[in-house]
Amino acid sequence: MKQAMYGLILFIFLILPPVATFLESIMIIHMHMQMPLLVFSGFLIARFFQIRFPQFFKNWNDNGIPGMLLFLIIWLYWMIPKAMDDALTLQFVEIFKFFSLTFLAGVPLRDSWGKLGSKAKSIVYVFFTLKFIIMGYLYIGIESQICNNYLIIEQRTLGWGSLAFAACFILYGFYWVFTDQSEFKTT
Amino acid sequence: MEQTLRETIRNNPKKILGVNPNDAKVSLSYLTVAFVSLLIGGILGMLQGLERAGLIQLPSWLNYYQVLTAHGLLLLVVFTATFTIGYQYANLSHSFGGLLSKVRKLAWIGFALMLIGVVMVTVMIVLNEASVLYTFYPPLAAHPIFYIGLVFVVLGIWACCFGVFINYRYWRKNHPGQTTPILAFFAMGVFILWFFASIGVTIEVFTLIPWSMGLVETTNVMVGRTLFWWFGHTLVNIWYLVATSAWYVIVPKIIGGRHFSEKLIRLVIILLVILNIPGGFHHQIVDPGISQSVKFLHVFMSLSIAVPSLMTAFAMFFVLERTGRKLGGKGLLGWLKKLPWGDVRFLAPMIAMISFIPGGAGGIVNTSNQLNQVIHNTMWVVGHFHITVGVSVVLTFFGICYWLIPYLSKRQLTPKMNKIGVIQTYVWTVGMALMAGSMHIVGLLGDPRRTSDTTYGGHEIAVSWIPYEMVFAIGATLLLIGVIIQVYAVFNMMFFAPKGHTEFPVAEPEDDATPAPLWTERWGLWIVLLIAVISMAYVVPIVDMILNAPPGSPPIRTW
Repeated sequence: MKQAMYGLILFIFLILPPVATFLESIMIIHMHMQMPLLVFSGFLIARFFQIRFPQFFKNWNDNGIPGMLLFLIIWLYWMIPKAMDDALTLQFVEIFKFFSLTFLAGVPLRDSWGKLGSKAKSIVYVFFTLKFIIMGYLYIGIESQICNNYLIIEQRTLGWGSLAFAACFILYGFYWVFTDQSEFKTT
Repeated sequence: MEQTLRETIRNNPKKILGVNPNDAKVSLSYLTVAFVSLLIGGILGMLQGLERAGLIQLPSWLNYYQVLTAHGLLLLVVFTATFTIGYQYANLSHSFGGLLSKVRKLAWIGFALMLIGVVMVTVMIVLNEASVLYTFYPPLAAHPIFYIGLVFVVLGIWACCFGVFINYRYWRKNHPGQTTPILAFFAMGVFILWFFASIGVTIEVFTLIPWSMGLVETTNVMVGRTLFWWFGHTLVNIWYLVATSAWYVIVPKIIGGRHFSEKLIRLVIILLVILNIPGGFHHQIVDPGISQSVKFLHVFMSLSIAVPSLMTAFAMFFVLERTGRKLGGKGLLGWLKKLPWGDVRFLAPMIAMISFIPGGAGGIVNTSNQLNQVIHNTMWVVGHFHITVGVSVVLTFFGICYWLIPYLSKRQLTPKMNKIGVIQTYVWTVGMALMAGSMHIVGLLGDPRRTSDTTYGGHEIAVSWIPYEMVFAIGATLLLIGVIIQVYAVFNMMFFAPKGHTEFPVAEPEDDATPAPLWTERWGLWIVLLIAVISMAYVVPIVDMILNAPPGSPPIRTW
């Protein structure tokens, strides 16, 4: 429950107007820092819901697939440039962003990840790696401005940032595949 | 429980046989270079202090800026790097029961590469072809050989990094389910940080070589500075990590106590490795071309280092108090009296730790945008790094010498040498308190750094700085005396002290301590997180600096 409290504190901190305005003022920080942090706050808050409503998660997310799909849909929606623009211009969309990333993405992610089998986990992992590569390629290569609120240079920066994250994912993937995990188990 | 002789030979042969002589040779060679550099760097430091005070005028063939460049590079790069390698390789050899022979070979290759590099760099400085100061970023341009020498130094460090990684992998593979001995874990942290820190400066130097040769007309100064500070500030934290290895693991043993929870120590190492590199940005806090919001974000990234630092401070004082009370200390501060203040192996690192309190506080001033405006490029900054590096780090290094060198050379620390060490520590502390203290104050009054003459035609404000500059000279003279005593002590313990057995003082955990968790050994994950934090910090400003690049700068030689 302590975790859920930390998650709630983080969530409140992130939605404070000066904090939100600051994080949203730079495109890459909006997408690669504010949004993941919102998901992370939901990830922590999830403990509260899991303890309070175990039956709900058992009924609706028994094998983890529905929760993961919900997480992916919400996450991918916020990767659309128009959605980011809307969040900056329309307040109710911004409120929806805070709510959806925390409670519809972060919470189901926590509940689903442990339930998924290793094959499903690998698919999600590879999907995210590819997504970062493709986003990097698109945001660096595209000539026109795709967000009304951000300049082309910010778009390019976001592209390079996505490629950096893809590199981290690939590195970690290699590390995971090529190390002997039994080394980390107490004998 | 007493071990039988047979068990001791089987499980802990070092206890009877001492250090492997081949490993000791590696460490002692690095330590020799370190203390020769310290002697030369110390003499140069005093010359600078005397010139700043207006007491001497250096000749044109060895001017202030040559001396300043050599002082910075010999002490900040050569002394610290060679000491760190010598000490960390000794730790590794002790923890793993000896180095692998290929690792020893790599350490020797590193030694040769670094020596070649240092000779190239020093010759260029002496020839007055490279008065570009320790920071060596553009637009000041040195002779290409200077930069090529730096490449050799970095290659030497990398050889040592790979040596550590190979030996660690080998040990882990052969000890599944066990956690690495804590000093070896520290060594991994130090060398991983070193490897990633030097990537930035390597890219910078590779762009500067063709530029200084005239093959490329201009270079991007902003990117050069950013890549330099990627390395420059991380280097500071590498020294700090090396010093904390002694604080956490060696000091408790010397005072007769146990070390703090290994889980916390490991967490501190991991946090220092992951969070460190972006800290470099606060050196550029008044640079143009980096937006305010990015600078604001970097204040958080720089200050995040305060978290593991404060964890260390609390953990260390806890250990000191617990041990002092166990030794019979009563009352609020009675435990302090029970600590072995007459033992240089404790005294030197203890003063180092205490000095980290004002040192750390000064660092927070430097990191804060508004406060930095007041002290930027003044003598305050020089005072700051003399108190952090010159006391917190260097006094710890000096304290380490008094057990490490006798251990490596199979000799003993005599009571007389201990007394010399105590005197050295006090001389050093007084010298540095005078010098760094007056530098801090005169910096607040506006005295600029990196300038040989600051009389400004006798302007009244400039005149008001002179008394403080005289105190620099007194402090610098005391420090040179400290250097001479230290170098004498080091070489005496290496070659002349009486033969005998010296213990390698590694503290044990408390009897009821929980074992260190194995997840801390996931270096692959920590490295990925380190790269993620670097990209969070650097992608925005570097893309901006490159895509919105101003016209580059041609090589500039101001001397």
